[in-house]
Amino acid sequence: MKKHSVLISLVIVAALLLASCQSGTSGTEQPTTASDETTLIVWDQFYRPVESQVMETLNREFEAAHAGVKIQREVKVLEDLELTLPLALSKTDGPDVAQVNQGRNSMGAMVAADLLLPLDDYLAKYQWSQVFSTSVASRNSFSPDGKTFGQGSLYGVSPTAEVVGVYYNKDIFKSNGWTIPATFEDFESLLGEIKAKGITPISFGSLDGWNAIHEFSAIQHLLVSKDYINNLTYGVNNVSFDTPENQQAAEILLDWSKKGYFTEGFAGIGYDDSNNLFKSGAGAMTITGSWLTGELLTGTDQQFGFFLLPGFKGQPAMAIGGVGIPFSIRKSTEKADLAAEYLNWMISPRAAELWAGAGILPAMALPENSQFDTSGLFGDTLNAWNSINKADMVGHYIDWATPTFGDTLTAELQKLLGGISTPADFTAAVQKDYAAFLASRQE
Amino acid sequence: MKRQNHYPGESPWKGWLYLLPAFSIYLVFTFLPILETIRNSFYDWDGISLNRQWIGFENYVHLFQDQQFLNALLHNLVFIIFYSLIPIFLGLFLASLLSREPIRGFNFFRTVLFLPQVLSMVVVGVIWRWVFNPSFGPLNMLLRSIGLGAAARAWLGDFTWALPAVGSIGSWVQYGFCLILFLSGMQHIPEEYYEASSLDGAGAISQFWHITLPGLRSEISVALISTFVAALRVFDLVFTTTRGGPGDSTMVTGFLIYRSAFLQHQMGYASAIATVLMIIILSASVIIRHYQRSGEE
Repeated sequence: MKKHSVLISLVIVAALLLASCQSGTSGTEQPTTASDETTLIVWDQFYRPVESQVMETLNREFEAAHAGVKIQREVKVLEDLELTLPLALSKTDGPDVAQVNQGRNSMGAMVAADLLLPLDDYLAKYQWSQVFSTSVASRNSFSPDGKTFGQGSLYGVSPTAEVVGVYYNKDIFKSNGWTIPATFEDFESLLGEIKAKGITPISFGSLDGWNAIHEFSAIQHLLVSKDYINNLTYGVNNVSFDTPENQQAAEILLDWSKKGYFTEGFAGIGYDDSNNLFKSGAGAMTITGSWLTGELLTGTDQQFGFFLLPGFKGQPAMAIGGVGIPFSIRKSTEKADLAAEYLNWMISPRAAELWAGAGILPAMALPENSQFDTSGLFGDTLNAWNSINKADMVGHYIDWATPTFGDTLTAELQKLLGGISTPADFTAAVQKDYAAFLASRQE
Repeated sequence: MKRQNHYPGESPWKGWLYLLPAFSIYLVFTFLPILETIRNSFYDWDGISLNRQWIGFENYVHLFQDQQFLNALLHNLVFIIFYSLIPIFLGLFLASLLSREPIRGFNFFRTVLFLPQVLSMVVVGVIWRWVFNPSFGPLNMLLRSIGLGAAARAWLGDFTWALPAVGSIGSWVQYGFCLILFLSGMQHIPEEYYEASSLDGAGAISQFWHITLPGLRSEISVALISTFVAALRVFDLVFTTTRGGPGDSTMVTGFLIYRSAFLQHQMGYASAIATVLMIIILSASVIIRHYQRSGEE
């Protein structure tokens, strides 16, 4: 769950309608393939023009490098893809390669239904462990029965990435002589300094709810261990949400709110509105994900930069992050080796370069000799992602933990920041949701 | 003697044939989905996988112990005040102002007052999110400019004020419908009644109580049913403004159904809520119709 807005959902609905019209006709217009030609059917959800162009280029270059191979691409909006994929993967003429959304309800269900090919052999063959960290791999991993998330076999590889950090207004920083803080302590004293200047330290709006989870969890990620966040997210080893660290993170968040570090009246401001305020120069910083980068590069006279929330005493710290929707292989395909070759191409340095060129964060490192300009805002987010990926410090969107976790966290954080509940109430209420989920799986 | 419903020699089934197109559409798109929803409410089902488990009335038992559901239902009742009662009172008041004396620009006023009703709810939500915005919304600016800055707040994010704020958007949307309904109803009340009563010395208020109000009985009943139903099934307004927040202070059953079904993958449970909501709406409509009929006799 990332960006929510009414407009986006409208666009998606419209696109869905269009897509469903198209998919109805595409079956009849397939060119008949020559007998010596191999066709690889690929379903992806990169439907926005910029993304789609990257995919087209990658596909053409793959065809050029593999004589006799033809890629038959079908683009779908994510919702459409998720609805149609289970049935399509169960057919012998279904897609050989498809993007399968992460999480229990999508990839987990398809693994359980024995529709996806485990990629462990290819992981070894292509040395994918050099391309992505184990923490990234576990996001696309399930036990063969589809029940345990985060371990077992690899079922997909992700080409794109996201990281949550701090965007700052370079102009405001420069004119006040502020610099990027190296420790969390520095960060907090900077907040005080900015506030004293009469500037909003953190542009924030919690009306839409979901992004408050990122504000809380970004602080939480500095306090908890990697094992803890993995256990919590994947629902293993019976961890609790009601811990001193989580309570401390809630206390810090509440403290920031009480000291007026957030936009005044943030409870009544939506996510997009708060970003627009930040973009127009109101507010020195905002804490959100790398997906905002493109938005902040256009239509504004302000200069922005990006840094990761620094750890306590400058210790290396985790950051919320993740990889985009992965490519998987249909279990019953006869072209598994070719499909794996295609997957390898999707996460190649060349692909990284093309995604970066389109302003989208690639999950894999850019080639050594890349001429890509990393000095601007996009470079900041790219470096941030590369540093946590290399250090294996990629955290999680904790709302993956249970099917209701996102809604519970949203409601409880609004209560916390609205002064209705205390940090202790907050962790206890969220733990209730988590315990109920763990109990339901025992049945 | 048996009544002939058709001409001699004509098939008695011909009439039914004319019904077929509309009926089959109704059957496929309304009636069967309702039955399917009721059936789903007896299952534990995530809405995606092929297997679902029969659990009898377990969803319903859970439902009436679910604080969230009861809380949402309570908010729906509050919405009746904003969606139904306030618009009807406002509609009656404005309609009697507009209908009695011919005023200049009548059509203009009528159009302007009816405008909220024809706007898409998404547009309404976006407009009011802007109006209520604490940073740049006109409402707080107005309050500050007239020295009531202390009353300015984050309306939609305030635990006390979010529900009345969303509710008042509902009033703004619904009163236009009531107004137009009552205006057209008033045109059917003979002008002589008013003339005769004023000769007898009746004032405007007395005329309203004894002539206008009884004359609008069926219009009020229609307005009551349709706004009542709108209050009980409200979803779009909450979805576009607060998504049930802050906390769950604006959570309504309609949004709970959506959230359970499509975000939390509890299709069975969502179906149970929908079924209960349907029963409540049907009974409310029947009761209102009953009172309207008994009043006419």
